[in-house]
Amino acid sequence: MAEPGSTRQDEHWLALESPKSGSSWGCRIDSVGVKLPSEMLTTKDLMNQTRHHTRIQLERLTGIHERHVVGPGENSFTLATGAARDCLAHSSHQASDIEMLISTSITRSRGGYSQSFEPPLSLSIKQAIGATNAANFDLSNACAGMLTGVFVLQDLITRGEISCGMVVSGEYISQLSWNAARQIRSLFSKQLASLTLGDAGAAVIVERAPRDTPGIDVIGFTTLAEHSRLCLAFPSKVGAGAQMYTKSRKLHRVAIEDMAPLVAEAIGEAGIDLSDIDYLIPHQTSARAIRKGTEEFARRLGAKPKHVVVNLEEYGNTSSTTLFLALHKYLQEQRVHKGDRVMLLALASGIEIGIAIFTIDSQVDHYGRLH
Amino acid sequence: MGACIEAVSALTSHGFRKPSARRLAEAAARASLAHAGREPGDIDMLINAGIYREDHMGEPALAALVQEDVGANLGQPPIGGHGTFSFDVLDGTRGVISAIRLEAGFLRSGVIRLGAIVTSDVELNLKDPGTAPFGPTGGALLLGWDDDIPGFTDFYTETFPEYEDLFASGLAWQARRGPRVPARATGQNQMVINEKAGYRARLVDCAEEATRHFLRRLGMGIGEIDLLVPAPSAADFVDPLRMRLGVPGDRVAYVTEDLQGAYTSGTIAALQAAIRSGRLGEARNTVMLAAGAGITVALALYQSGS
Repeated sequence: MAEPGSTRQDEHWLALESPKSGSSWGCRIDSVGVKLPSEMLTTKDLMNQTRHHTRIQLERLTGIHERHVVGPGENSFTLATGAARDCLAHSSHQASDIEMLISTSITRSRGGYSQSFEPPLSLSIKQAIGATNAANFDLSNACAGMLTGVFVLQDLITRGEISCGMVVSGEYISQLSWNAARQIRSLFSKQLASLTLGDAGAAVIVERAPRDTPGIDVIGFTTLAEHSRLCLAFPSKVGAGAQMYTKSRKLHRVAIEDMAPLVAEAIGEAGIDLSDIDYLIPHQTSARAIRKGTEEFARRLGAKPKHVVVNLEEYGNTSSTTLFLALHKYLQEQRVHKGDRVMLLALASGIEIGIAIFTIDSQVDHYGRLH
Repeated sequence: MGACIEAVSALTSHGFRKPSARRLAEAAARASLAHAGREPGDIDMLINAGIYREDHMGEPALAALVQEDVGANLGQPPIGGHGTFSFDVLDGTRGVISAIRLEAGFLRSGVIRLGAIVTSDVELNLKDPGTAPFGPTGGALLLGWDDDIPGFTDFYTETFPEYEDLFASGLAWQARRGPRVPARATGQNQMVINEKAGYRARLVDCAEEATRHFLRRLGMGIGEIDLLVPAPSAADFVDPLRMRLGVPGDRVAYVTEDLQGAYTSGTIAALQAAIRSGRLGEARNTVMLAAGAGITVALALYQSGS
């Protein structure tokens, strides 16, 4: 274990953990679960329901063809609980093994509340899935919430405080699309990004592993708070739920500008090159933004990952669940294999930037047609 | 050696023309930095554990806004420096103890050298005025590393889900009554707080039971608690609890009268009272406790080593 108090590696801008930290244990992703609502909404249908005639070609602009949206009886809680159960179904663990459960939904709709505050949603989820031995709390970090939860669990696990934890999120955010659809008038509206949202639940179990076995190689975070107001979400004034205002172009410009040295830091800590990354899974906002970002990384860092995962066409931007929704799809379709190195890249309002690099191992055995 | 309290600050909204959650948290953070002789740029991790804000903003995390307000490591990330990582922990009155647990861990791992925790709650536009269990307050706590004291050594939480429905809060869409007026909203998202009869009595019951379980796990007796630092989770909580536990009144840190309404800032307000009286430094074993909706009770053991 690294000497506490005096040995934080000063060369890091990121709050960062890696095997170099000298931890007692390793840490790996055991399983990922997903819950998608069954109803679908195409971009064409959404844009046909805007109050004003906008002339926005959203699908061409973002690459989003359709997204899942909640139906009657579904909300953040049901999506999160469904994802947690799916995660357990792909796991070697029982619910009773979970020692800490962190809920990271931005939206926390349940019962009669469009946004519940207390008790924490994590309490209801752990009771619903039978994780009664788990400590629980809610964590909020915009679209970076789930990866922040993994960062927290990774620290607890590698220090030996716990051996197994779950991060879960249920995002019912299509309500923001409907609220935006009532108000949006043109391509320059700050609510444009709200039209890209889709609903989904995702969960991930993180577990203790022997050191020097495949698992999480590097995980780190930072907040570029000078840009904290580029994306803001408030309770809506026109309907239940929320409204979101985003300066999308500036957000992406800043993110691309500042992310490159942070990615360099993370891959440097892992002792690899960007071309050693088999799959880069970035936060899913728009296909065009992801393509431009990847090109800029390649230009600045002199290398590029082998594959960049984009699943916007069928899911849209599902907020805090995007990274694990994409990872689940690639596990389920057996497109990732043992030994593949994956980079998760979180980008969120704040601006929050999170990076995790890990190696795929036995978790692939729990996915595919037989499971 | 362990994670230690460098400074705390708890304050009320007096002196604020229009107190907001952000301003209260920022003021408390600045005060705690001044107490500790630290600069904003020293903060490696900033966790907001406050809950009730005037705008109920869903994103970004309030912690990011407070980071900007205090000026902690803004600007482009240069190679060679260090940044600040900010996020929110939403765990009601227990949020501070949960956040301490996380930051104490990151301190132990060497990932951070200084952690900050901020809290704030403000008066709300409630559907039923008078149901708010708190007054506007803010708090901040700085956590560092001390080679000479054990610091925070143990944490414990216990949930009593059979009482989950005794306290609930959230935003609900309230339709406006009367004829529809063009260009006027048809309703509003309003905070609803629903506290059922018996909640406060059960808080005391659960806090007592959880404390006994925690002490049993530690192999400690009640008599070994030199100082009990309970967040004033509700009116009539602290004294009934300490009497049930059998802790003498002079071993309890009571928050000052002006901070009696502290909610998520309750633990920090109680710590501030303990520090100002000099008792935190004198106590070998300090037990912090916060209980709230769930019902969940969080406890922490802090050892000064004296």
